Amino acid sequence: MAPAEARAGFATGIRHAAEYRLLQAALAGFDRLPIGTAAALARRLGRTWFALDRRRRRVAISNVLRAGFAGDQRQATDLARRSAEHFALVVLEALRSEEILDREPAEPEGGAEPQPACGGVELRIDPAARALLEDEAQGMVQPACGGVELRIDPAARALLEDEAQGMVLSSGHFGNWEIGGQVLSRFKPVAGIARPMNNPRVERLVQQRKPRYRFRPIPKYSGEPRRFLEVLRQGEALALLTDQHARSGGVPVELFGHPVSTYTTSAMLHLVARVPLCFAACRRVAPLRFELVVSPPIEHRRSGDRRADVQAILRRLNAMLEEQVRLAPDQYVWGHRFWR
Amino acid sequence: MSDSAASEPRQQRSETFSRLVGLMRASATEEHDWDAVEPGTTTESLGFDSLSILDLLYDVEHEFGVEIEAEEVVEAKTLGDVVRLLEERGAG
Repeated sequence: MAPAEARAGFATGIRHAAEYRLLQAALAGFDRLPIGTAAALARRLGRTWFALDRRRRRVAISNVLRAGFAGDQRQATDLARRSAEHFALVVLEALRSEEILDREPAEPEGGAEPQPACGGVELRIDPAARALLEDEAQGMVQPACGGVELRIDPAARALLEDEAQGMVLSSGHFGNWEIGGQVLSRFKPVAGIARPMNNPRVERLVQQRKPRYRFRPIPKYSGEPRRFLEVLRQGEALALLTDQHARSGGVPVELFGHPVSTYTTSAMLHLVARVPLCFAACRRVAPLRFELVVSPPIEHRRSGDRRADVQAILRRLNAMLEEQVRLAPDQYVWGHRFWR
Repeated sequence: MSDSAASEPRQQRSETFSRLVGLMRASATEEHDWDAVEPGTTTESLGFDSLSILDLLYDVEHEFGVEIEAEEVVEAKTLGDVVRLLEERGAG
């Protein structure tokens, strides 16, 4: 090894060790805080990060304006800042997800006719409306999973409950995709495609901390070409976030009216591995409260034009993602460069 | 076995091979000397990875009118392996 390389390797090692110790100390501090205080601190950290990271701030503001979610620079900056706060919350919620997923139902207040509560939400539902809500064929609200309300399409739910059936779950950097993955892993194991962090010690620390149930990351890049197919063959769900710039490896698909080079993996697995494909999103509806939506399975017949088929599927997935983002634009991670 | 009977499968395999190479050439993202490609050439050496092999599978199924398990194609190391798969499915 050349001396310059050795020096660089040594410097990287020192930096990784320092990052690891810093994160370890920060996490220990966060763990001692009540979740509400930790959330407030996380938001503040998100705002600080937004103020300091000029490049990402510019990208986020530009994306918000380009997508048409703000009329002027001031509105765009405000939304981009709230998105940065949201991202910090995503990390906190993922690290302390047990406090969301294992929430005890709240005690009903005195004087009210008690109905079984759902996590922290007290229910006062008209009996006829409740009958509708409880009818799975209506595809409405189903029993919650801790602080996460489930809105899973009945056909999608049947797939999730079929132990032998592999499926692809597509989502975007919206809401808390980590919480969504963990909830869905209560139905069947979920493998989330992820790029490992640059610092392997930090990566190990984060992975060890997360209570993941049956949710596990699998590497985005690997020398093992069968890894995605094996997940599906074993009856697991393969989860992907599709709203990333795929460089030359993707096909152009519109997102908020502008083309993005989009990864084709989800569509191709549906088309050639013949596995069901659903869209899923987990939106925060209140502090530590979420709504998880899973779409009906997308069905697309092959036309013989591969590119057209892939684009048609990805357009549908993007349309569902856009629909969710419109409900809560501040829960979208605007700071990554999907338009280049 | 007569000479014509022996050469028939070889001829069919050759046609299947040529069509396969044509499909690969059309969907490949890297430059190669496609005339030098042989049955023993690996799909990986032609730049087909776990994802682009799925593109090829779509094209192959459409071109030859057959259905092949994705895992079988991923496990096929060489073009000759893919041709064998196609022949087993009665690709025409």
